Formats: sequence, C-alpha cells, structure tokens
Amino acid sequence: MNKKSISLTQLKHQKVLLIWAAVIVVYGVVFYYLPLAGWVMAFQDYKPVTGLLHSKFIGFDKFIRLFSDVTFLRVIRNTLAMGVINLAVTFFMAILFAILLNEIACQGGKKVVQTISYLPHFLSWIIVTGILHDALSGTGIINQLLLNFNLVEQPINFFAHEKYFWPIVAFANVWKETGWNAIIYLAAITAIDPSLYEAAAIDGAGRWAKIKHVTLPGIKPTIMILLLMNIGNVLNAGFEIQYLLGNGLVVNVSQTIDIYVLKWGISQGDYAIGTAAGIFKSVVSIVLIVICNRIAKRHGEERLF
Amino acid sequence: MKKRVVSALLITTMLTSMLAGCGKTAGHGGAVNEDGIKEFTAFFAVPGTEINDDNEIQQIIAEKTGCKVKESWLTGQTAEEAVGTFIAGGEYPDFIDGGDGSVQLYEAGALVALDDYIDNYPNIKEFFTDQEWDAIRQDDGHIYWIPQFTNIYGEERECIQNGEAFWIQTRVLEWAGYPEVHTMDQYFDLIEAYNEANPTMEDGTENIPYTILCDDWRYFCLENAPEFLDGYPNDGSVIVDPETKKIIDYNTTDTAVKYFKKLNEEYKKGIVDQESFTQTYDEYIAKLSTGRVLGMIDQWWDFAYTAEDAIKTAGLDKQGCQYVPLPITIDEGMKNQWHNSGGELNVSSGLAITVDCGDVEGALQFVNDLLGQEVHDLRFWGVEGVDYNIGDDGMYTRTPEMRTNVVDAAYKAAHMCPYSYFPQWLGTSRDGKNAMKPEGQEDEFYDGLSDTVRECFEAYGAETYVEMLGTSPAPGPWYPMYTYSNSMTTSTPGGTAWTLMGETKHQYLPKVVMADDFDAAWDEYMEAYNACHPEDFLSEMQTELDRRIEEAAKYE
Amino acid sequence: MNKKKRKKISGADLAFRIFNTIFMIAFVVITLYPVLNTLAISLNDGTDALRGGIYLWPRVFTWKNYTTVLQKDNLITGAFITVARTIIGTFLALVSNAILAFIVSRKDFIFAKQVSLFWVITMYVNGGLIPTFLLYKSLGLTNSFAVYVIPGMISAFNMLVIRTYMKGIPDSLEESAQLDGAGYTTIFLKIISPLCKPVYATVALFVAVGQWNSWFDAMLYNRMSDDLTTLQYELMKLLSSVTNQSSSAESMKNSNGSVTPTSVRAAATIITMLPIICIYPFLQKYFVTGLTLGGVKE
Repeated sequence: MNKKSISLTQLKHQKVLLIWAAVIVVYGVVFYYLPLAGWVMAFQDYKPVTGLLHSKFIGFDKFIRLFSDVTFLRVIRNTLAMGVINLAVTFFMAILFAILLNEIACQGGKKVVQTISYLPHFLSWIIVTGILHDALSGTGIINQLLLNFNLVEQPINFFAHEKYFWPIVAFANVWKETGWNAIIYLAAITAIDPSLYEAAAIDGAGRWAKIKHVTLPGIKPTIMILLLMNIGNVLNAGFEIQYLLGNGLVVNVSQTIDIYVLKWGISQGDYAIGTAAGIFKSVVSIVLIVICNRIAKRHGEERLF
Repeated sequence: MKKRVVSALLITTMLTSMLAGCGKTAGHGGAVNEDGIKEFTAFFAVPGTEINDDNEIQQIIAEKTGCKVKESWLTGQTAEEAVGTFIAGGEYPDFIDGGDGSVQLYEAGALVALDDYIDNYPNIKEFFTDQEWDAIRQDDGHIYWIPQFTNIYGEERECIQNGEAFWIQTRVLEWAGYPEVHTMDQYFDLIEAYNEANPTMEDGTENIPYTILCDDWRYFCLENAPEFLDGYPNDGSVIVDPETKKIIDYNTTDTAVKYFKKLNEEYKKGIVDQESFTQTYDEYIAKLSTGRVLGMIDQWWDFAYTAEDAIKTAGLDKQGCQYVPLPITIDEGMKNQWHNSGGELNVSSGLAITVDCGDVEGALQFVNDLLGQEVHDLRFWGVEGVDYNIGDDGMYTRTPEMRTNVVDAAYKAAHMCPYSYFPQWLGTSRDGKNAMKPEGQEDEFYDGLSDTVRECFEAYGAETYVEMLGTSPAPGPWYPMYTYSNSMTTSTPGGTAWTLMGETKHQYLPKVVMADDFDAAWDEYMEAYNACHPEDFLSEMQTELDRRIEEAAKYE
Repeated sequence: MNKKKRKKISGADLAFRIFNTIFMIAFVVITLYPVLNTLAISLNDGTDALRGGIYLWPRVFTWKNYTTVLQKDNLITGAFITVARTIIGTFLALVSNAILAFIVSRKDFIFAKQVSLFWVITMYVNGGLIPTFLLYKSLGLTNSFAVYVIPGMISAFNMLVIRTYMKGIPDSLEESAQLDGAGYTTIFLKIISPLCKPVYATVALFVAVGQWNSWFDAMLYNRMSDDLTTLQYELMKLLSSVTNQSSSAESMKNSNGSVTPTSVRAAATIITMLPIICIYPFLQKYFVTGLTLGGVKE
C-alpha cells in the first residue's frame, strides 16, 4: 500500500486523521526525540559545568573503551542471556496462565485467582528478593523439601554457584510478573467472538482443540506484538534484581549492562560511559525489531509497523 | 454526573497547581515570611532524616535566631546525579552539601567563596584552626565549604568504638573467665573452645561461631582487617609507614596471607559460617539478632543500631549475647590502633552557600548561631525539662521515657531538629561538664548498659567500649588517607586501578577463604590482583601522602 | 463465554480440570505468599522482625509501622496530588493513546506505517536524565503539576496494545458506518471505542498503576514544591529517613518497639497496594467476565 501514489481526494478524506497524527507526531518529537540531543554526551568529555554545548569532544573514545573491556563483553553476554531466558519464560507463563485462567468455569474462582495473581507486581524487588533469599537459604523451605525427599544430602547453597543464578532470576521474574503480564492476554481473549467457540463445540472439539483452534489464534496478534516489543527489550534485563541477588561469588554471571554503567559511569560522575552504553542498547534494540518485524511480515503475521 | 466530578477535579487541580507553580524558585535567598522569620532552603546530597514542617525545636531555633532552613535530602539518586541536575538546571538552594559532587559545584561556579566572611562570625571562625581552614581551600585559594563533622571541642568524649573491631559475645568471655585475648589465633581458639563446650544457645539453637559480612560495599568486614592486625589505624585504603612515610599495600602483606589462611582453615573446620559470602546484609543482621553468632569483624554502626537493639529487645542480653570489641593484632605484644582519638577532617565535602542565596551574611549568621552553645544543646539534647533534665551538679540526664522518645521516628520528626548536616561539635560542652552530644555523656552511656556488658567491662577494667581497645592519637597529619581514595574516579589510572582492585578482591577473596587448596587460590587471586595495576593506585596515594606532609610542614 | 450446557465430561476433560485446578491452587499459594508475608511483617514489631522467621503471622503485633507511615508530614497533600495525577493522567493518556491507535489502525491511512515506526522507536531510545531535565525546564514543566501528566501521555507500548485490539474488530462495521456517511470522528467515538472497553480498561490500569507508583518525577522536577509532592515520594523519603536513622549515632538505649526500614517498607507497600486492590474489581469485569461483543455478530 506504500507504493500507491497519494491522491488529493485521499488526503482530503483523511484530513482529520492527518491533523491528529501531525499533532501527536509533534508531541513525540518534542518529548522523545529532542532529548536525544543528549547523545552527543557519549562523544564528549561531558562535565555538567560546561554542559552539552561546550564540553570537549573525544570522538569514539568511550565506545572503544567499552568494547575493549573484557568485563563489558561478559556483561553483554549476561544481559543477553538473562534477557532471552526471562523473555521466553515470562512470556510463556503469562500466556499459559491467561489461557488456563480463562478455562476456569467458576466465575468467582476466576476472579479471585486473577486478583491474587497480579499482587506480587506491587511488591518492590527488595521485598521479593528478600523472600526468595529466605526460601533458598540453607534452612529455607526449598532445601528442606529437597532434604525431605532425599534429593540432596547437603543443603544446596544456591547463591554460591554460578549455574543457579540465571534460573533464579528467571523464576523471580515469573513469580512477580506472570499475573500482571497475563492481563493483556485476558483482555485479548474477551475479543474472541463466542460464536467461534460454539461452532467448534458443534464440530465436536474438546478443550484442547478449542484452545488450539480458537483461543490461541484469537490472541495471536497480541502475542506477536508483545513478542516483537519484548525482543527489542532483551538488553534491558534489569538491574535491581541482579544487584540484590548477586554476590562476589557469582559476579561473573550476575552483572548486567546497567550495573556496569552504574559502577563505571554514574557513580564515577562519568556521563559519557552511561550514554555510550545507552546508545549501544538502542541500536541493538532497533536493529533487532527491524529484523523481527521483517520476518513477521514475511510470514504474514501482525507486526509493529 | 461522573463526568462532572472528573472535570471539577481536573479544574481545581490545574488551578492549584498553577498557583503552586508560581513564586517557587530554588533559592529563597532568605526571604522573610509573615512571622518575620528568614527562610532558607538546603539540599544535602546524602540520604537523610526528614523533619516535619511544623517541627517544634525548629520553631524554637527560628525564634531565637530569626532563621529557619527547609532541608531536603538525596532520594533514589547518586550525589553526582543530583548535583549534575542542579548544575544543568542552573538553580540552587541557598545551602548545599554536594557530597561526592562537591567539586563539580565548585567547578561550576555555583558556590560562594566564604573566606572573606568567616572572620566576622566568631563561632564559625573558632570551628577550625588556621591550618585546618587552609586545608579546605580549593585550588583557587578560596574556602567554599565547611566540613561539618568530627570536630572536637575541648576534651574528647567517646564511649563507643564506632569503628571496626573483632567483636565477641560477652558469654564467650564470661565462660572462659574473661581471659586476655590479643591475637587472632587466641581469638579463634577461644571461639572454637567455647563452641565445642556449648554448641547451642539456651533454647537449643545452634551457634554460628564466626560469620563474615560480604554484601556489596560492606565487604570491608572481610578485606581490611590486615591493616589493623599489623597495628596500623584505619587509613582505609592503604597503610602509611609512620617512619619512612611510605605507602604500603595491606592486601599483599604477610599478615594478609596469614589472616586469610586462618579464615580458610576455620572455614574448613566449619567455624566460619558456610553462608558467609552469599548472605545479604538483612540475613546477616537477622543472624546476629538471634544471638547465635559468637563473633565477627564489623564496624559498630553497621550492626549496633539494628542487631544489638534486637538482642536487647529479645532479652538475649541476659544470656550474654551482646558484643564487645577485643584488642587483636597478628602477634602478641603489638600496639593496636583499632581506635584513634581526635577528629578526622574530611575536606572533600561540607556545607556550602550557593550563588543563588541572596543573603549570604544572613545565612552565615545562622550557621554561626547554630554553633552557639544554647542552640547546639537544642539541636542535639533537645528542650530542657522535656528531652533532658539538669541535675544539681549541672549534668544533663535523661529519664527512661525521654530516652524512648528520642529514638521514636515520629517523635523525632515532629520534635527534634538537629540540623544534622550543618556544622556541629563533638567533645565537651562549653560548660566544661556535659558532652556536646548525648552519646558522649559517660553517665548516660553507663546507665544504658546491660548487666552482662557492665560485668564484662569491669573484668577488663574498662568503662567504655573504647577502653576495651585502648586508644591512640592520630598517627600523623596525613591521617586518614581514605578521604583521598574515596574521591578518586576512573579518570585517572590510579582511580581505575582502585575500582578494579575492589572488584577483584570482592570476587576472589571469598574463593580464597572457601578454597580446598589455599595456596593455589591465593596465587590465582594475586595474579588477578596484580593485573589491576595496583602500583598505579599506590603511586597516586604516595603523591597525595607527600603533599599532605608537605602542607603540614608549613605550620610547624 | 464458556457457559455452555454441561455435557458429559470426557476423561480428557476431567484430567484437564484436575490439572488446571491444581495448577491454579499452586499458583495462588506461591503468589499470595509474598503478599501475606509482607502484611505479617508490616504488623510486626520492627526490631523483633530483624530476627527473621516471620512467615504468615506477626510474632509481636503492633500498629506502629502503620502509624509511623501515616504520621508522615505532607502525606495528605501527597495523596491528593497522587489521586489527581492518577485520574487526570490516566484520562489524558487513554484518550491520546486511543486516538493515535485509531489513526494508525486505519488500513487506508497513508502514513500508518511511518507513524507507527516513529513511535516504536521511542520505546528504545532515551536521551538521558540531564537532557530531559533541561527540556522540561525550558518548557516550564518543572515545579508544575503538568510534569506528571504531560510527558508520559503517549506511550508506544499502550498505543500498540490498543491498536492490535482495534485491528481485530471486523472491518464490516466501519464500512457500513462509512456508507451511512459517518466521518472518522463518529466511527472512533460511536463504533470503535465502545467495542474497545476491555483494552481501554487494560491500558487505563497500566497507566493508573504507573501514575500511582511514580515518585522519581516528583523528586526530580518538583523537589522544591511541597504542595506538588506525591504519596510515593513522601513514602520514599520516609523510608530513606528511617534507613538513615537506624544507622545514626542516636542514643540506642530503650529503643524497644522501634521501626526499621524493613517494617516501614512493608507497611508502606500495603498502604499503597490497598487502593489498587479496591479499584481493581471495577476494571476487572472488563477483562474477566467474558464480555460479548454484542454488536459484532453479523
């Protein structure tokens, strides 16, 4: 449709849309694109004193420093790994939960379950990680269970081993956000035409068949859109949770880009490093979503733009 | 109907907010309010304790001095970020303490040079000696801020060992008949012996003989003991040899090897808590609070106001679960310097007045008034008859009820007004009897001790925590060196090395302690450590040390 | 939507139901626990709670944590501003996101793709704290209520969620309306929006929760204006005060029954959660009760 030439009648017809779109784009330029002028900081020896306009230019120094630092490369790996694991697990769980919730016949039960499920969203990470630390400690419930079922002989010190760190982070994310993330899918499910379920029932479809052939296709556009958006976010694997759960023994796998930036940039008054890392993340995100969007387009799926 | 409610709300809020939007600028510059009181604003780039707008003592001070300061504190940002935003915005409060961002403020030209004014304000003038004032000057030769803390008037009054020490529960000492414990080996032998004889507490909970806090920046509890074990004071980042005036790296000394090897052995024996390196600060405090932990290294402020309180609240003081410090060094017969007397002038930040303050004289007059004895007593002791009583001998005392009040958060917010980031005195009041601050009042302190701690003190002939350790004067004019290493940034090779060294230690030291083969783990650690170029850091510290000694020589 | 007559329950169906019930019960237990734990800690003496071991029930009961929070200065002002920003902010965000989503979901709109891309990019770029601060300051947004509701008005995420939903609405409705001579405004207001209630409710919830919980903007832009403070900012300051004072050298004697950062945080969390829990059922009906799109059936 892009290839079509724009006719005057079309423009006239779409006058309302155009005006509103223009207003909103102006808003976007002001509030989202203007501050990007700050990106010059990444190429400057920025000092608040001299400001954006008069700080000394240093070119790509900061980028070179970032990418020649072995730690930074490891940090990218950690961020990507946790980003991908979290995305996969939380995404799957939210959809699963929404669908299963929708299958509860009892309306009251459904409401109660849903109300409870989203509550952990309101707890701060410091509370959630505190409880998680308790549960996974030497005398915590998880080790008690493992000991009782004779799965282990000694309590496992979960936070002392690198191999447990990523799964723990993923679990914490699922725990805190599944109910909340499921809300979008629940809303999407309401848009499915009930007659489709009736038709499927007449065809003799059971529960699984209905889920597979009616519910899932019904929320597929929503799934696709959220998937695409979240793929762009894999480098935002977070900061607080890793910071709160990490310790010296697992630092090789726990540090994310944001923690690195805090340590080497913000807490040192070095704005350029933080900005450079931010630009790097933005570029990766945009490249990722452009690629994925193209793939989605090829497969005829819902896409971002 | 609903719509009307919403739109009404909308309009009222918009209106109120527009009104609120006017007339609010950063610095009031000492604008006079309707009661004839000058109002100043202040921002401190540290987290702080808020007080209420209608705080009672603030009002009393306002009536006496004609001034009032609205304070705000750092929340959820770093000091540099907060200061960076102020500078970018170009608007400042009247008073500011930029914390780690102080130099940025100076470079931005945001601060008023104070040296021309100081002579007119006797209390401010008196606050430092000429040498000290000169030490605060920036590279343009002017004074921009006044460090507020650890300045001692008259005789020093210190009861608590606020700094670091090897702590041990009084029950362990009592059981062993209050022996003299002077070395690290003796300390661990005692703990081992006690734990073997008494593996559990009275209620059957298992003891944790020794734990190590290693959470985030608090890992100093693991790493910096070697400097104290060698008998040096808390220079923080390095040892300064007082004879040769050379910087020594305490991380690589023989003592460091011995200390970590000892920890490694005790870890293998099960004396060192197996969860040491994975516990969070909260978990550590929880362990201490249950009274299970026999000993640890820590600084007093890091556990006392939480765990010690909890121990007392639970009545565990009767079982001897409170901690006392021990004068431990690596070998017998060495002098320990866990505690140093005298103030430590930290020149890296302080209270400053900004260029947006329209009434610099008024602001300084207020600071001067705050240092007067009457207002100083109001700030730290409170109101006579309400927060403390004066005995016939002129000594200030508090009743149990008053003591309860002054630690209550709500009471403090409504009543107490310490102006805690304005200059203040430690030591002895101008009346020559009382302490400047309640925590220095010996009688008050001794009254508050539990029987078990008092008994323990008596056995060692001590009356305070400080006396348990003994004290030494500051080793030299350079002390403490950490004021310099704290201000280092990654913009110099030394600063970068310093940050890297910290990361490496934090990562490898736990492994060293937990290692099956200590020597191999230590070698691995040393390899990683040397890769951080500690020599860059040490040479910058040496330069600073030389500079400080040279500066001090001018006044001899 | 599944309220169908109970037919004979097949074996597979039964297995499914059992599995589902077990799954849900497990899920509820796991997710309810942290909340109940927080509640228990909020009702327990702070110093006592330091010892740990509190699970579902307070050990030393006290209201002290709550009274400490509720006695906070400026809390009323903060609550008022927070309610105001939540209502106004949600309303503005919903309207503007819906309009934008409507525009870019029109299949014939000539710039649909470009406008979408323009907004998608905003999700992944960020100019940083200081440039944003300077911008808001030059727009006169600092020390004003507007800074709470104007900058975050449109978010690409919410817009895309609405857009996806709108795209799912059959074209036939719109076409028949167009034949009747209805313009875009009428179609948006009269045809699309009524059908979008569930997604509007979802987005309203997201925005409202965001508004309700935010404090960083109050701290950054309105620090000097006490009458524009927000509930969460006051709570953050309180928390920071308590944290600070529990490590200060105040007299440590007789401090039994005092609050700690953990206990105050727990109380503050429960206090901020309550209103949301109360409002939630009103929104919930839009996305749980299986709303039938009455008019959609052709």
